[in-house]
Amino acid sequence: MIADTPYARMLGIASIASEPGTVGLMMPATTQLEGRQGFLYGGVIASLLELACLEAITQERDSDGPRPKPINISFDFLRGGLMVETFAQARLSRVGRHVVNADAICWQAGRDRPIATGRMHLLLDQGRGR
Amino acid sequence: MEEDDPFERLKNLPPRGHHALLGIYTVDNGPDWAELACPFAPGFLIDPDAGLVASGPVISLVDAAAGAAIIARTRQWRGMATLDLHIDYLRPAKAGQTLYARATCHHVTRKVAFTRCDVHDGDPASPIAFATASFFFTDAP
Repeated sequence: MIADTPYARMLGIASIASEPGTVGLMMPATTQLEGRQGFLYGGVIASLLELACLEAITQERDSDGPRPKPINISFDFLRGGLMVETFAQARLSRVGRHVVNADAICWQAGRDRPIATGRMHLLLDQGRGR
Repeated sequence: MEEDDPFERLKNLPPRGHHALLGIYTVDNGPDWAELACPFAPGFLIDPDAGLVASGPVISLVDAAAGAAIIARTRQWRGMATLDLHIDYLRPAKAGQTLYARATCHHVTRKVAFTRCDVHDGDPASPIAFATASFFFTDAP
């Protein structure tokens, strides 16, 4: 669970059931996450999106398996993040043999008004052999 | 004169918000670039057993360095918002190492600024990530 990691704890992130059968992340607003006055820091919103992608992969895959390695991630910032609770959820758009594509959205007032989106590629390290 | 320079003002601001939580500080700057750093903290780990550092602090440091590079180039104190940010991860950061991000602002238009950023964790010859980011001036006419 991503929410149990030291980094997620530093941001105050918790897992929440958002839709039946899926888990998203919730991040409470604190002054420690503030960027320009009155707004969440862009880097924090991006970090939440990335953690949501990692969470989606953790749920999908065997926890004993090799840890996927981030290759890259792109973020689009759509609206300023207000100092209120923020949510994020990701889905795996493709799980290949070597590469996983994930996309994530981040919202506050409603899922239909995302404040940021992210797309991520991860490398599945098959370990030895192959 | 010096105190009126927006970059000097940025450098001398007391740390606040997320910059304060991560301990981000300015290392150096030039006419169109800024280098910022972030000392390691145990809270940066995403897997303490493997000593694996989360990329969140890297992303936040890139965002900060890119914004600072824009101020270094424009020498103006303007409202701006990150429009998009892309990071390529070359390798994970090493636990215990200070992160360094050097961003260059290579183009500015009336409403948008474009930046590139190199990130390393002690050895500039062995980067951990490259990033690009563009910003929108929120006070543009």
